[in-house]
Amino acid sequence: MDDLLNDFLAETAEILAEAGGALVAWEADPGDRERLDAIFRLVHTIKGSSGFLSLPRVTALAHAAEDALDQVRRGNRPADAALVTGVLGVIDRLTHLCGALGTGGGEPAGDDGEVIEALALAADEPASPEPAEIQLRREDDLAAELQAWRSIRVPLPLLDSVMTGVTDIVLARNEFARMLRESGADPRLIASFDRLSDSIAGMRQSVSQMRMQRIDKLFAPLPRIVRDLAQELGKKVKFVASGGEVELDREMMENIRDPLIHIVRNAIDHGIEPLDQRVAAGKGVIATLSVSARQSGNQIEIEVRDDGRGLSPDALVSKAVAARIVTATEARALSAKDKLELIFRPGFSTAAKITSVSGRGVGMDIVKANLEKIGGVVELRNDEGRGLTILLRVPMTLTIISGLMVRAAGQYFAIPRGAVREILLESSDSARIDCVGGGELATVRGEKFPLLRLEEILGLKPGADEDAEDRAIVIVRPGQGQSYALSVAAIHDHEELVIKPAAPLIMATGLYAGTTLPDNGRPVLLLDVQGLLAAAGIDASEAGRCHDEAEEAEAEAVAARKAAQLLLFRDTGGRVRGIRLSVIERVEEVPALALFESAGLVQAQIGDDIFPVHAGRLPEDAGMLKLLRLHDGQRVLCYPIEAVIDIVRLPDTVQPAPVPGLISGVTLVGGEPVELLDPFWLMEQYAHGEIASEARQPLCQLAGDADGWGENFLAPILRSAGYRVASADDALAGGAPDVFLTLSDEESLIADGVPVIRLRAAAAAAGPDDQSVYRYDRQALLEALRVRIGGGGS
Amino acid sequence: MMEKLYLVARIADTRVALRSRAIHSVVAVGTPVEVPAAPPHVAGLFALRSRVFTLIDPHVVVGLAPVTVIEGQRVIVVDVADHGYALLADAIEDVCFIDAPETRVAGKLLPGWARVADAMIEHEGASLLVVDPAHFITLPVASAA
Repeated sequence: MDDLLNDFLAETAEILAEAGGALVAWEADPGDRERLDAIFRLVHTIKGSSGFLSLPRVTALAHAAEDALDQVRRGNRPADAALVTGVLGVIDRLTHLCGALGTGGGEPAGDDGEVIEALALAADEPASPEPAEIQLRREDDLAAELQAWRSIRVPLPLLDSVMTGVTDIVLARNEFARMLRESGADPRLIASFDRLSDSIAGMRQSVSQMRMQRIDKLFAPLPRIVRDLAQELGKKVKFVASGGEVELDREMMENIRDPLIHIVRNAIDHGIEPLDQRVAAGKGVIATLSVSARQSGNQIEIEVRDDGRGLSPDALVSKAVAARIVTATEARALSAKDKLELIFRPGFSTAAKITSVSGRGVGMDIVKANLEKIGGVVELRNDEGRGLTILLRVPMTLTIISGLMVRAAGQYFAIPRGAVREILLESSDSARIDCVGGGELATVRGEKFPLLRLEEILGLKPGADEDAEDRAIVIVRPGQGQSYALSVAAIHDHEELVIKPAAPLIMATGLYAGTTLPDNGRPVLLLDVQGLLAAAGIDASEAGRCHDEAEEAEAEAVAARKAAQLLLFRDTGGRVRGIRLSVIERVEEVPALALFESAGLVQAQIGDDIFPVHAGRLPEDAGMLKLLRLHDGQRVLCYPIEAVIDIVRLPDTVQPAPVPGLISGVTLVGGEPVELLDPFWLMEQYAHGEIASEARQPLCQLAGDADGWGENFLAPILRSAGYRVASADDALAGGAPDVFLTLSDEESLIADGVPVIRLRAAAAAAGPDDQSVYRYDRQALLEALRVRIGGGGS
Repeated sequence: MMEKLYLVARIADTRVALRSRAIHSVVAVGTPVEVPAAPPHVAGLFALRSRVFTLIDPHVVVGLAPVTVIEGQRVIVVDVADHGYALLADAIEDVCFIDAPETRVAGKLLPGWARVADAMIEHEGASLLVVDPAHFITLPVASAA
């Protein structure tokens, strides 16, 4: 029974991790039928095995989830976020229960009613059923379940002992082979020994593969973690995983799991900014968090990259000083790199405040220690303001790699074959070695490489018996965009090598990636091709080595900077539209109450200012409203939107609209048509009635305003038309008037050289020479003002 | 009674006792493979039953000049933090039960020895230092420089 339970727990833990990731992926694409089927099968499996072990709570939970998913499969229920959240709730509860089962051995008492109910609640709107597809899919289920039976579980220690045993056999075989050769044995004996030898080699290969797992398994729980955390923090994060096919030793995987999760959580919590800050920084609101794995020579590189705010070295330093991790004096002596690496000091936390996410007692110091334990390293690539990339490099220990054996100073070293691009003799015609200013440079067929001599880097004396003629150059490519030439005394041969981590004190030299035991039974050090570079202190970057390429890269960067960016948003009608980012001043979020209607126009009050809003009518529902603030250098216009979607590069081809209007044209973004707003047209619509800035408004001086009509009736009209008004009392307070408006016939009030408009009380003109304006003739008055001094809004 | 079992050996020119539970085995070593650029107390690498061990020269750890490894020399194999190491021994004397209790280190030791010694124990009329092999693996910062 215990064995059964253990098997169940191991299997269920795996299923739950897989199901969580699959659910999140399915939520993003509910049309993915295959994924839904896969999730259904996973839950179904848990239900089946728990029933067998009589675990009623687990069975009930699994049954509820299975039921809900089946409803979706039958089309009776829509696949929505509520359902996914419900099923995730069940998965969390199951995980919790399995944990309790593992420690306590029995199912703890408790009530799962609320979890199951949450799932049922989400299903109050049944959609019309469409049962046509179901029969077919059932057969698929069966086939897939049969597949699952074709693997078995083996305890890890057993695998380890098989591995050790096989390696011992290989070593014994080698010893035996040497003795056979020396004794001059019968060729028939040697032939049959060779057959044995071949099958041993095959077996060693298979055993190593048994321990390998796709790194997919490590990535499986991440989508769920990203989703939950992003939701909790109100951030939008797109998660991308790649390189899942890279294989890694299972034991190594266990050691990387927690550090990786911690880094991912950190990136979302601290690295990725809140939405408004992202827009302010000109980034897409949806942050991208990518995790990728690749094999780089003798190492597996796992890269976690976010496009958040990156690390600020100065902020790190001040925090470290505040936390008494370094003194101010020490801090001044730190290099830029050292400053970043402060995050690896124990007791350091980059969070300004402890959130529910951070402050869990796991810091980057633990991450680093865990990785070093298995001979790995953590690297930071910081791009302040634009994102942080954390690179985990772990040796492929216990992985079999193809290695090139080279000799230096009479000692053998291994170089991972994957990092070797080319091998040639120093004396060969295609290679030329130049000494330039104390450094050496190898030119191979026109391509230049910095040259390192292995003996020099390792601090060895060149062997006396070694002939300079035999020296070989190995062109090494330690990573993307880097290469150098490594000069060695001789090339020995290729061998399949089992790599194991060297002791930490040897790994700490940074020169070695591990140890290996080739067939002669004497340990050989595997060189860290990246570490050699660091030790030699040379720049192996390929960029700029070739003139043309550098220019191209530069031109490309310039083009990228010049490219206009487009803000994609969903407007209040639910349509996806875009507008050039450069005309957006910022995105405002205001309560719907800040909008009001006046003179047939919707206006918004933001702070102390009132801006026109491009909307036909006031929003119906209260709550918060997002406004794009368009700015043309003088005026502001608000455009209400539902949500900002992204910022993309403005496509080159735009299909223009036939007539000028709100939409200037349509373009394709990611294969979807997007309408582009015409900021020119928008601004044009709201340009009239708009007030020029106060300083340039003409000043109207009222004169002869004895009864206050000018102040009370006339002045408001003039002000709204874009003039400043000074009454008779505060005459000349605002500087020299541009025009006088006089309501009486007295001449004494009027200064010389300033145009005058006389207003008369009678509707009819006094005679043909009467230049005065009837005081209630608004049109004529404004026209007269415009003729005299210009200005005015309309 | 495992707690009372000790390996008495001569390492770095000094007779010491090592707690047997800290020790994996005692084996004879061939010519080790050098590790260029490694810390000075790393005497090399050698293979044993398809595992690679790092050979440590205790002479360097306690502040003496390094010695050359002689083929067939005996080494004390220990596991520290999941890595295999071997301490070069001048001589292996005995594995025996020592009933006497471990006592605090009395008297002033050389700094190198003070770092590796845990206690003292009385055995056959002589005082032996009880050393922890794990202390030999890492070198104090000052002497590594």
